[in-house]
Amino acid sequence: MMSKYQHLYVVIEHEDGMPVPVSLEMLGEARRLMDGFNKKYSSDEKVVAVVLGHNARKLCEELIFYGADAVIYADNPELRYRRNLIDTKVISQIARSREVAAKFSDTSEFVKPRYMFFGADSIGRHLSSTVLAELESGLASDINKLVIEDLEIKHEHKTKGQAMKYEKTLEMYRPDFSGFLWTTILCLDNRNPAIEREYHPQACSIIPGVFAPIEPDTSRRGAIVDYVPEFDERDLKVRILDRKIVKSAVDFDSHKAVVSFGKGIKDSPEQNIKQVAELAKEIEAEVGISLPISKKPFPVSEGINSTYMIPDRVIGTSGRKVAPLLYIAVGISGAMQHIAGMKESGFIVAINPDENSPIKDECDIFIRGRMEDVIPLLLEQLRKQRPTIEVKK
Amino acid sequence: MTSTTTKDLNVAVIVKLEPDFSEGNVSYNADGTLNRAETKSILGPHSAIASNAAFYAKVKYGARVAVGTMGPPIAESALQQAQLLCDADELHLYSDRLFAGADTLATAEVLKAGVSKVEGDGKVDIVFSGHRASDGETGQTGPQTAWKLGYTFLGHVIDYNVDLQSRFVRAKRLISLQGFYDILEEVEAPLPVFISIDPSYKAFFNTVSQRLAFEKYQKEARSRAENYKQFLKVLNTQQLGIDPKLVGLPGSPTIVYKVERIPKAKASRKSEVIDGANRDQLTRVAANMYEVLGGMVIK
Repeated sequence: MMSKYQHLYVVIEHEDGMPVPVSLEMLGEARRLMDGFNKKYSSDEKVVAVVLGHNARKLCEELIFYGADAVIYADNPELRYRRNLIDTKVISQIARSREVAAKFSDTSEFVKPRYMFFGADSIGRHLSSTVLAELESGLASDINKLVIEDLEIKHEHKTKGQAMKYEKTLEMYRPDFSGFLWTTILCLDNRNPAIEREYHPQACSIIPGVFAPIEPDTSRRGAIVDYVPEFDERDLKVRILDRKIVKSAVDFDSHKAVVSFGKGIKDSPEQNIKQVAELAKEIEAEVGISLPISKKPFPVSEGINSTYMIPDRVIGTSGRKVAPLLYIAVGISGAMQHIAGMKESGFIVAINPDENSPIKDECDIFIRGRMEDVIPLLLEQLRKQRPTIEVKK
Repeated sequence: MTSTTTKDLNVAVIVKLEPDFSEGNVSYNADGTLNRAETKSILGPHSAIASNAAFYAKVKYGARVAVGTMGPPIAESALQQAQLLCDADELHLYSDRLFAGADTLATAEVLKAGVSKVEGDGKVDIVFSGHRASDGETGQTGPQTAWKLGYTFLGHVIDYNVDLQSRFVRAKRLISLQGFYDILEEVEAPLPVFISIDPSYKAFFNTVSQRLAFEKYQKEARSRAENYKQFLKVLNTQQLGIDPKLVGLPGSPTIVYKVERIPKAKASRKSEVIDGANRDQLTRVAANMYEVLGGMVIK
């Protein structure tokens, strides 16, 4: 039996046809989930990539190699750069189009997608919000684990306290700001007769850098469905006057090393941050921080505050992902979100007084001790062994 | 007393009372999770930035400013703190037991109704919101409120200016494409707009008259905030004219199914433990570091 809700739609982000990494990561996870889904429910629901852009057909082909069964492609010069208003209109049209879904599946009953993924970044966070406000369904943000299950739910409002089975429910796991708690969010129809209502798609935004893309397979084939978007003047009222690439003042990419600090600076924050900065300077490293530091939990001088305790320096799922040759984590316990942002580093050294910190399992060398004591000694050794650069004649 | 004179520009700010993450106020449980009972609440830092952006509209364009929040009665303290920042002419607390447990969509429904209750029949030209709350951190409520209002949404705004004649806003947006680069975009849109303010927003005043207005309104803000209750309206479901089915838990598509401790991940590296007081061992660590950095040690 066909369902009103079918398929997993993945909203792709790209710059002139170059996919932003989270797009391929979402496709990878979508592929794995839907392979499991189709096997478990003996069905044939698709992973569908949704692309808005101009002259990006080559990207559509690539997306098939990366796991999409079909690509819905809206090509128009007005869609070259992301604008929330027009993008929301077009994506919502696509999500509601039975005609489009008919190009790759049997859709006699199709109303909307069953599931929908967006990237949890500058663009996707807002786009997912407005699309789901338009589609009037539920959205969970910053997800890093997904499971599809049949669940028995007993909920005061959703089921009026009765136990009811919700099939094919997407469990969306979201780490909280501390990095220690996982909240599972579900998007469920209201089956309570007093407030009866269907909520589809079940949608979420996905943290960049969490899921792995699949190995691209150039023998994979799938339909590329052209969609001609409908819009008028009012949908184009935001005009982009200028657009330029900027380099952040904080530059992790061109440094071979990164030294990061976390809440472990607490005993004498000002002094400790200066020490960390000195260590970074010695090995020509950029300075990073853990997320809690960007919330400015400790009083420090204005100069230190505005230089170091800023969101631009955050490493982890709420900030940048880095992979330097050398990563030094100072006074960082190792919450999952931080680890996700630095685990690809070549060599990891942690300085921490507590051997039970999770960071111990994520580093190559764990220096046990308080940073106040360790950094001066380490600096002394680094200075003694400071390499001289050989100039070739 | 609230003023009802029509202004050239009407703005509203949506704020939130949040846990105070600063030292001495925040309290963590032994397992590293937030101890909510022991943690004080304040106007959220992103809400404060949005309030500053609204104050800029007052100083520069003489805008009339309304501030709204959804929450229990205690949330009025967030309104008072915001008023101190933006010299609000009107404060709204959307408070009803029916609102409890709302997800972002159900919260947006309340905030949409709230903006339409701003004096002057809700003819608000610009709504400001913070980038995200520091406790919930979804960043969804702002854009969802914008969409429900039918306002053009502009996210990540670091600077904005209004042309009162043409009724257009020009804004600079900072967009981070993870894995690529950042983009600075300048956009133009007709009013009304909904602006979500980026954390890096900073207001600049560059004329003497603006400087004087700044001081005047700041002084006014202090005296108003002392008597904030005179500016405060508390509105419930009925007064907002909302369908109770669309708010709180009944109006939320999503539920929190479970909360668990994130299990300790499998060790991804096997670390060697070094005694941080042992110079010899640290000598070796320093050598290791230079080795991975590819520095040449010439002895």
